Amino acid sequence: MAEIKNYTMNFGPQHPAAHGVLRLVLELDGEVVERADPHIGLLHRGTEKLAEHKTFLQSVPYMDRLDYVSMMCNEHAYVMAIEKLAGIEVPLRAQYIRVMFDEITRILNHLLWLGASGIDLGAMTMFFYTFREREDLLDVYEAVSGARMHAAYYRPGGVYRDLPDSMAQYAPSKYHNESAVKRMNENRQGSLLDFLEDFCNRFPACVDEYETLLTDNRIWKQRTVGIGVVTPERALAMGFTGPMLRGSGVEWDLRKKQPYEVYDRVDFDIAVGVEGDCYDRYLVRVEEMRQSNRIIKQCIDWLRKNPGPVITENHKFAPPKREAMKQDMEELIHHFKLFTEGFHVPAGEVYSAVEHPKGEFGIYLVSDGANKPYRMKIRAPGFPHLASLNEMTRGHMLADVVAIIGTQDIVFGEIDR
Amino acid sequence: MADDLNKLGESLKQLLADKVVSLESRLGELTLVVSAEGMLEVFQRLRDDEHLRYDQLVDLCGMDYSAYGSVTSEDGRYLRDEEGVNPHSQRFAVVYHLLSVARNSRLRVRVYAQDDAAPMLDSVQGIWSAANWFEREAFDMYGIVFLGHPDLRRLLTDYGFVGNPFRKDFPLSGNVEMHYDPELKRVVYAPVTVEPREITPRVIREENYSRR
Amino acid sequence: MAKISSFFKSFLLLELLKGMAVTGKHFFAHKVTVQYPDEKTPQSFRFRGLHAQRRYPNGEERCIACKLCEAVCPALAIKIEVAEREDGSRRTTQYDIDLTKCIFCGFCEESCPVDAIVETRVFEYHGEKRGDLYYTKPMLLAVGDKHEAQIAKDRAADAKYR
Repeated sequence: MAEIKNYTMNFGPQHPAAHGVLRLVLELDGEVVERADPHIGLLHRGTEKLAEHKTFLQSVPYMDRLDYVSMMCNEHAYVMAIEKLAGIEVPLRAQYIRVMFDEITRILNHLLWLGASGIDLGAMTMFFYTFREREDLLDVYEAVSGARMHAAYYRPGGVYRDLPDSMAQYAPSKYHNESAVKRMNENRQGSLLDFLEDFCNRFPACVDEYETLLTDNRIWKQRTVGIGVVTPERALAMGFTGPMLRGSGVEWDLRKKQPYEVYDRVDFDIAVGVEGDCYDRYLVRVEEMRQSNRIIKQCIDWLRKNPGPVITENHKFAPPKREAMKQDMEELIHHFKLFTEGFHVPAGEVYSAVEHPKGEFGIYLVSDGANKPYRMKIRAPGFPHLASLNEMTRGHMLADVVAIIGTQDIVFGEIDR
Repeated sequence: MADDLNKLGESLKQLLADKVVSLESRLGELTLVVSAEGMLEVFQRLRDDEHLRYDQLVDLCGMDYSAYGSVTSEDGRYLRDEEGVNPHSQRFAVVYHLLSVARNSRLRVRVYAQDDAAPMLDSVQGIWSAANWFEREAFDMYGIVFLGHPDLRRLLTDYGFVGNPFRKDFPLSGNVEMHYDPELKRVVYAPVTVEPREITPRVIREENYSRR
Repeated sequence: MAKISSFFKSFLLLELLKGMAVTGKHFFAHKVTVQYPDEKTPQSFRFRGLHAQRRYPNGEERCIACKLCEAVCPALAIKIEVAEREDGSRRTTQYDIDLTKCIFCGFCEESCPVDAIVETRVFEYHGEKRGDLYYTKPMLLAVGDKHEAQIAKDRAADAKYR
């Protein structure tokens, strides 16, 4: 009788299904996972320590680089923490812009998730389709902030600039002649809001397409139904938030339960799963995209009707308009002060959380009255999710580990920080 | 909202009685400070009590208060003078953020570690499973030992890393740097050569400077 | 009855055929692919790419060495040395941007009181050996000189929002 023993396998850090730099040490009994021990920290950049050595404003672009597929939501939690601690009033228009971009970000994140976990489980086409839609939304990002990913658009007290009145357009080339370019530029004739509205009108049909490909598909169902089941009690105890928690049937959404900005003024529903398996979490996320689309539409309507300032007029926190800065001595002093020493935030501590596409993204900010934070703790939603990987994969097959990592929507920028 | 907080504060005081060191309500958030002895009992009650039911540990955060209130800094090092006030009695603390999904309420609990040289606290892993990695992270970054933790290993830093990087006396650019040595054909560690550079020093201005 | 219908649905591979219909439809639809580098996706006038130093129309460099960009740069990518020029004006003797440190947040441009340092639309630049991406003042001025028309147009388009 040959001796049978478990063997240990390294999954990652360069495995394409590890969604980044995850080193997973798996103890296998044949093909069944006995224990999964994730080794993380390969992308640890010490953002929290760096923030202690930067002024409050300087940390904003670093927030983009945490969860690098939902950039603006990270910024949102950070600027909200500062606003709460310093008591800064945010203009209503800025709040609507932020809500709109939070939802754009949610769609961006879920599209990437859908494409990537589709590829993990063998649905190659999804990736092409979701990236087609992502392209439009990234154009919106670029139009408003100048960067397709690392926007640095939210500021303590509002957002940097108002939405542009025009969209960039395609130019003719040897592949696309005048008439083809005309067709491609059709939705780029008006303002950013027009472009976005066109997208919102098209998007539900795109989601239907994704659903046609996946929701009833037998291969997709075989790979996800009954995999990685989490009960609501365990989901709470393990610190799950966002779609992971809702997939287990707990009706919890910060946008509804602890509304911030103008979420209490827009109309939307939250999707809740039943079984708590990968399939339910997939359904929850798909439904969230539809709901986000609804919210964006409402924001567009409001923003069209209500022009106004997009950043606070309190120049102790936000720089004055450029024209004013160039003409007024006092404004010039504000400008210099803000960009050298930065603003001071009163001593105290605050925790601010947003409903990030992956769950609850929180910033715990401690200030001792200086121009730099004393301590900033980032509560990343993916961190407790990945911590539960051992419990979620135990007893499943090796191939299911991929499905479970996929369903957790892991991004290492936020987990390693 | 404020009424709810007051009510919650009152009931916390009643339920936990002598365990409460202080209870503060600010910016719509409650901060409870409890002593390290008997902290497990407090947390157990916070989770299980009918009227509290904090069923989720949202965040667990290590803290190093040693440089709190230092008026300025130079090349990333904190400089303290007489004026800087530090209201914190101990150097190390752990801050827990609790959430009650059932009651839709949040609570912040701070526990100071008694010994500055060897900070130790009880692990709450048995109460909320989520604490597992959070405690490993705090152990890694601050060297706070969690008694009763089943698997207290380093989490985020490199294998074989020395030191606790988030402590305030740990330099921003670290102590060692790593590069590939073509002669030895392996990765080698050497003392760090990055010059500390800080253009904007940290400043604390007089009270309420930033308020209009 | 439901059981029978679901049996036939599953037996006839209906959901798979529906999926194939979607992909089949896209086979004949307009292609969305953009053939880079022969054609490019549209670029916003706010685009933040390679840095440039600008000059006034009379050829005088704009930068007055106020060091705001150096102070606000989150990544400490900018290094400035200052001296008084012969005519008594304050100018930089050294203005370096280490593009390998730069995180392209745009704060330098935002802070500059004289619109001297800007981020252009250029994103196709590269270095072939270590140190090639360390841009010095003459290099930055050269970028500015080359793209000044586009830079000025973009700033004018964005002026009303800032």
